[in-house]
Amino acid sequence: MQFAVPPRKSPHPLPGARSSRLPLYRRKQLKTIGLFAFALLVILYLLTHLSSSSSSIATPAGTAGPVVIVTLLDREHWSESYINKIVANREDYAKRHDYTNFFATYSEYDEAVGDAPKSWATIPAVRHAMAKYPNAAYFFHLSPHALFMNPSKSLKSHILERNQLESVMLKDVPVVPPDSIIRTFAHLREKDVDFITTQDSEDLTPSSFVLKNGDFARYLLDLWFEPLFRNYNFQKAEIHGLDHIIQWHPTVLARTALVPQRALNAYSKDSRGAGPDGTYQDGDFLIRFPGCDDMEGKECAELEPYYIIWQKKLKSIRS
Amino acid sequence: MSLSRSPSPHPGGGWSSPGLTPGSGTSTPRGYSPSNLTPSGISWAAAKAKSDEVRGYPSFATRNSGFFSRQKHKLSARLPSFRGSGYADKDAYGRAQWSPSTGGRGILGVAGNFVRRGRGRVLAILVLVWIGYLLLWSTLVRTYRRSPLGGGRKVVIILGSNTEGGVMEWKGAREWAIERNSIWNKERYAQKWGYELEVANMLAKKRYSHEWRESWEKGDVIREAMRKYPSAEWFWWLDLNTWVMEYGTSLHNYLLNDLDSHVYRDINDYNPLNITHPLPEFYLDELGRSQEGDRDPSSLNMLLTQDCGGFNLGSFLVRRSVWTDRLLDAWWDPVMYEQMHMNWEHKEQNALEYIYQTQPWIRSSIGFLPQRMINAFPPGACGDEINPNIHYQEEDHDLVVNMAGCSFGRDCWSEIYFYRAISNRLNQNLWGSFKETLSGAYGRVFSKGVDQEDDDS
Repeated sequence: MQFAVPPRKSPHPLPGARSSRLPLYRRKQLKTIGLFAFALLVILYLLTHLSSSSSSIATPAGTAGPVVIVTLLDREHWSESYINKIVANREDYAKRHDYTNFFATYSEYDEAVGDAPKSWATIPAVRHAMAKYPNAAYFFHLSPHALFMNPSKSLKSHILERNQLESVMLKDVPVVPPDSIIRTFAHLREKDVDFITTQDSEDLTPSSFVLKNGDFARYLLDLWFEPLFRNYNFQKAEIHGLDHIIQWHPTVLARTALVPQRALNAYSKDSRGAGPDGTYQDGDFLIRFPGCDDMEGKECAELEPYYIIWQKKLKSIRS
Repeated sequence: MSLSRSPSPHPGGGWSSPGLTPGSGTSTPRGYSPSNLTPSGISWAAAKAKSDEVRGYPSFATRNSGFFSRQKHKLSARLPSFRGSGYADKDAYGRAQWSPSTGGRGILGVAGNFVRRGRGRVLAILVLVWIGYLLLWSTLVRTYRRSPLGGGRKVVIILGSNTEGGVMEWKGAREWAIERNSIWNKERYAQKWGYELEVANMLAKKRYSHEWRESWEKGDVIREAMRKYPSAEWFWWLDLNTWVMEYGTSLHNYLLNDLDSHVYRDINDYNPLNITHPLPEFYLDELGRSQEGDRDPSSLNMLLTQDCGGFNLGSFLVRRSVWTDRLLDAWWDPVMYEQMHMNWEHKEQNALEYIYQTQPWIRSSIGFLPQRMINAFPPGACGDEINPNIHYQEEDHDLVVNMAGCSFGRDCWSEIYFYRAISNRLNQNLWGSFKETLSGAYGRVFSKGVDQEDDDS
């Protein structure tokens, strides 16, 4: 209604008509402006992209970093020679693969653990190792009563590499044996895994686990070490604590991979509680002596024969 | 406490809890689906499905969204007269020649002249833009705020409510009025800034009683909202007994764009609970023993306030993050609950205070806000004397008033009514200045709408 009368056609070309044919210099100007704008956009995109990606990774958790082997020793009760054997075995293994050893003592964590069984000290010990080696990629906690029996096998090629882990991890199995209704994820990928452990015939086995450095590690350890769990009188202390957490907290389960027992935690012959195919066989990565966990004396006799086997193996590798 | 068995769900055993309902051994997780991150029992799953039905179509949506649609309708119904007299005197070019007697035709003639002479193209466009501004500006602004550029969808306001009426409590007229008004208040604020509003029906909480986790469902509601609004970043929980006082304050400008200057991470700044901070444990890493977290505002994933008694969860924000997932997961645990349910009088609030103290991973991502920033109290909460750190200050334009504890010996409805009146007055002034720039007609329509809304309630 406003423009009922169409504008008369004028003999002069309309200002708008001119714009379709730009003079050359104008086009060049536009081109440079366009280029500048494009470059600016690219830079902005890169900046935002880079900054967002860098902020999402809070901790440097490069896979190239070393593995820290965490061992808890009881220097008050165990004999010097027994401790030396354990240490020698681990020092040798770490040296071969450029890993680091972190030896801690139970008594250091007495105050932290409080009235709870001393085996809870595992958790602050790993946390302690994380504080001491913030750049490590993995922390491998291994019960002191265990020996590396296949020294040439690196933890990385044995379990941590993507193909290796994805092929050995147990999918869709009851997370706590024998028949927990909570099952491990069937679609888990290596990049989603922060926590690797095994199960024996009854429980998960925190006596041997690998934990990737990062926020998840802090979360898991802090939650696990919760005073209300420590004071709950779990029959098997931190073992049942872990059983509990993993079944009730899906954010933990979602980052957990279970591997066959012999991969990380082969039990010595005639040990109680070894899972099916969980008993040590020649050539396995390591052997653990669960019977030694509640030993009374200054050393555990079970370890001795395997220590000799290991020494022989070293000689044969050298020659 | 003297229980000496593992709580792992064994066949026929399940979660046994000597301290609590002895017969209920069936609360072990019965199944697990990755999309539903809640350990749940059979009856719980069924109950949840039922609650999803209820929550899927909140009934308020059809009832109360009427305010804005009504306004729009009225506006467009009055447009012809509005346009005829309204826009002409805003026309800077035409004003000199324009007299009321010539009316719209005079303008047209002038404009037509310009166009005919080929000079007025720009003017015509300006006029069109002006008309567009008058008619469409607010819609455009809203559309922009809703768009990815505007960032409005990054914020979801979750309002804890009980739209269907409680089973245990008889809801009277006052309760209904509180609810209707509180929802209307958040709707208006959310709509203005393009935020999402999720009214959570807390009726569901009775279903939690078999799991003994009443009042922890906040976590589940937030998780649900995270699934429902996948592009949202911040989730702002508000209790029903709260009132957003300043519609003109956007959460981004007010708070989220500059977290660093508002948030204090060192709880010693205000520490009513006397929490030891930073943690002294030697085995913790630097982050665990840090006084100020990692000093990176992007790691702040939960923003809350403390009142005189400790943490207050009547109004808090969480950011979508892995940390938040973990927090919502760790917040409730059967072993912890079994030992503490007698001590945790304020349930999930006490539980959060507790795990904040015992689990170092939580500290670095929690930021505290000065209480009045998102959670000002009315006098009567936290003592009758006015404390300028706690109680609402009108001249400072505090964003939210939380009638905390009003159901214990105070009158929720009269408090809400009181603050609603203040809020209306404050925002009326704002609209007054708007009125000057727009037109009297627009203002009339609007104030009428507000009056009507008052009558409704």
